[in-house]
Amino acid sequence: MNLRVAKRAVRAGARRKSVTAKPHTMAAWRFWFMALLLASLAGMLVGRLVLIQALDQDRGAAFLKKQGAMRAVRLAEIPAYRGLVTDRHGAPLAVSTPVVSLWANPQHLADSGRLDELAHALGMSLDDLRKRLALYADKQFMYLLRHQTPEKARAVLDLGIAGVRSERAYQRFYPAGEVVSHLVGLTNVDGEGISGLEKTFDTWLEGLPGKKRYIKDLHGDAVRDIGVVEDPRPGKALALSIDLRLQYLQHRELQRAMAETGAQAGAAVTIDAWTGEILAVSNHPVFNPNSRAGFDYAAARNRVVTDAFEPGSTIKPLTLVAALESGQFTIDTIVDTSPGWIKVGSKVLPDPRNHGAISVSRIIEKSSQVGVTKIAQTLGHEPILDVFRRFGLGEPTLTGFPGERAGVLPNRERWSDIEKVTLAFGYGLSATPLQMAHAYSVFANGGERVPLSLVKRNPTEVVPRERIISPDVARDVLTVLERVTGDEGTARLARVDGFAVGGKTGTVHKVGAQGYMDDRYLALFVGIAPVDNPRYVTAIVVDEPKGDAYAGGAAAAPIYARIAGGLLHLQNAVPRARQAPETQLASLGGGQ
Amino acid sequence: MIVPHRQTLWLVGLALGCVASALGVVYSSHICREYYATLQSLESQRWAAQEDYSRLLLQESTLASPHRVLSIATEQLGMRVPGMGADRVVVQ
Repeated sequence: MNLRVAKRAVRAGARRKSVTAKPHTMAAWRFWFMALLLASLAGMLVGRLVLIQALDQDRGAAFLKKQGAMRAVRLAEIPAYRGLVTDRHGAPLAVSTPVVSLWANPQHLADSGRLDELAHALGMSLDDLRKRLALYADKQFMYLLRHQTPEKARAVLDLGIAGVRSERAYQRFYPAGEVVSHLVGLTNVDGEGISGLEKTFDTWLEGLPGKKRYIKDLHGDAVRDIGVVEDPRPGKALALSIDLRLQYLQHRELQRAMAETGAQAGAAVTIDAWTGEILAVSNHPVFNPNSRAGFDYAAARNRVVTDAFEPGSTIKPLTLVAALESGQFTIDTIVDTSPGWIKVGSKVLPDPRNHGAISVSRIIEKSSQVGVTKIAQTLGHEPILDVFRRFGLGEPTLTGFPGERAGVLPNRERWSDIEKVTLAFGYGLSATPLQMAHAYSVFANGGERVPLSLVKRNPTEVVPRERIISPDVARDVLTVLERVTGDEGTARLARVDGFAVGGKTGTVHKVGAQGYMDDRYLALFVGIAPVDNPRYVTAIVVDEPKGDAYAGGAAAAPIYARIAGGLLHLQNAVPRARQAPETQLASLGGGQ
Repeated sequence: MIVPHRQTLWLVGLALGCVASALGVVYSSHICREYYATLQSLESQRWAAQEDYSRLLLQESTLASPHRVLSIATEQLGMRVPGMGADRVVVQ
C-alpha cells in the first residue's frame, strides 16, 4: 500500500513539477527511502536464503538437508538369504525360508478402533494385545508377530488396518529334524548361528543384509523407495560330509537300541577312514530343531565330539600296537594268564574265568585283564603312552565343532604300579567317541592317519596322510580285531551277515561321586567294516544300559551289527560269501 | 526482410536449448521412475520365487525323506531288504 501511495505521489509530483517543484521534494525523498527500505528487506530475505541454502555454515545447507532427511528419509534393511546346508549328496539339512514379521508403531496403533479385529487375526486375545501395546506405549516400534508364513501375514495385512506394517526376513528350517539336529545346530531369531555347525561356519553361511533408502510420509508409511544403497549378499552353501541315508539308518538303530536297552544316553559316529570324512553322527536323547518350545540344552549336546569318557577295553588294540612295536610280542606269543587274576600293588585284577596260557591275539579277543596287565608290565607305560599320543588321544580332532573336547592323557611325574597298567586297558585317560573312531581309522588306512572333516572333501583334494604305525602292525591288529567278532571273541553279536567285520568291545564303570560305580556302565564298541577292504569305522557308546545286557558285547555290539549291515548295503559292498563273481550271469545280462 | 540480430539468435537458441534440456530432465526422471518400478516388481517376483523355492525344497525333502521312503516301501508296496541269498555279484 505504501508503495502505491508513494508512486502516486511521485507521479503527482512529476506532473506538478512543471508548475513548481519545490513543495514536492519531500515526496521524492519519501519514495526513495521507502524503496530502499523495501529493497533491503527483500535483500535480507535473499541473503538469508543464500546463507542457508548455498553457503556451508553452522545450521546451514548441510544441517537443513540432514534435518529434512531425518524427518522423511529412512534406511531399510534388505534381508539376505542364509546359505543352504546340505549333506554330501545335496539333500537339504538347513534351509532358510522367507517369512514375514508384523510390526506396528504402538503410539499410532493404540488409538485404532479396529484392535478387536486385529487381535483376532493375530490369534491373540484383545486383552493381550492391549497389554502389549501398553508395554511399548512409549516406543515407536513393536513386533506384533514375528516370523509368520507369508500366507498368514498377508491375511493380517489384507485387513488394511492403519499402522500395521510388515517386514521381510528369513527363518531357518531343518527338513531332517532331529536326525541331524545335534550336528547342524541352530540359529537364533536373528539368523545367527548359535550352536553346532551353524555356529562354526557362521561367517560362511551368513548373508549380509543390504540397505535401501525410502521416503516416508507423516504416518511412517513408505511413500517411495529412493534406491538401493547396498545390495544384500546371500550366504554361501555348505555341503557336509554327512551321508543323509546312512545318518537316518544310524539314527534309527541308535534310537531303537536306546529303547531296547533302557539306556539314558547314547552316541554313534561313522567315518570314512580313507578320506577322514565323518559320514554320520547320532545322539540320544534327541531334540527337535524346528521347535524351541520345551527346548532342553542337555538333549542338544553332540556327545560324539563333546563328551569324553574312559575308553576301557576299546583302547586295548592300541596297547597291542605298543606290544607289537616293542618286538617282544607277536600276535601269536603265548602269555600265561593263570590263575585268572593278578595282583598289582594292593589291587586284584580278575578275568571272568581262568583263560590259562593263551596267545596275545586271544588276550584281545577275550579282553583278558590279566593278559593285558602282563603285557603292560613287560612294556612299561612309556611306549603305551607314546602310541596313544601318536593316535591323537588327548589332542583335539580339529573338526571345528563348538565345544569339541580333546580328552585327557595323563601326564604325571610319578606313576604308581597300578596306574601304569590301568592305562593299558583304558582307565585313567579319556577320549571322545570321535577320537576313538579316528584312532581305529589308522588300522583301516594301513597305519596312516588322515585328518577328519565334517565338510565334504573335494574328490580331487589331496588329503595329507601321516604314517603312525607300520603296515605290518596295522594288518596284525586288523586280524586280531576280526577274530574279536569270531566264535571265541567278545563281539560275536557284532557280526554282519555276509561280511567280515572287526572291532573291539568295552565295558566301563561310570564314575560317580564315590569313585567307580559298581552297577552303572558305559557299553562301548568300535568297529571296522569290511575287514578285507577296511574303510568304514563306527564308534558306539551306550550310557547306562539297564538289565543284564550291559556289557559292550551285549549292548553296543548288536547296534554295530545293524549299522554296519545297513552301511555296507548302502555302499554296495560286495559280500564275502559271493566274492567269486558270476561271470556267466554277467555275460547273460550284457553288463555295461 | 528483417535480419535478426546475431545476439537475438543466440538468445533464441539458448532458450530453445533450455527448454529441450528441461524436457530431457523430465523424460529421464520419468524413465528412472519406470525402471525403479520395474526393479521393485522384479524384486517382489524374486521374493515370491524364493518363497516358492524354499517351500518346494522343504516339500521335496519331506517327501523324499528316507524314513518316509522306507515306510512306504515296506508297508504300502510290500518291499523288503534283500537277504544275502538274493545277492548276485556281476562282473562289468
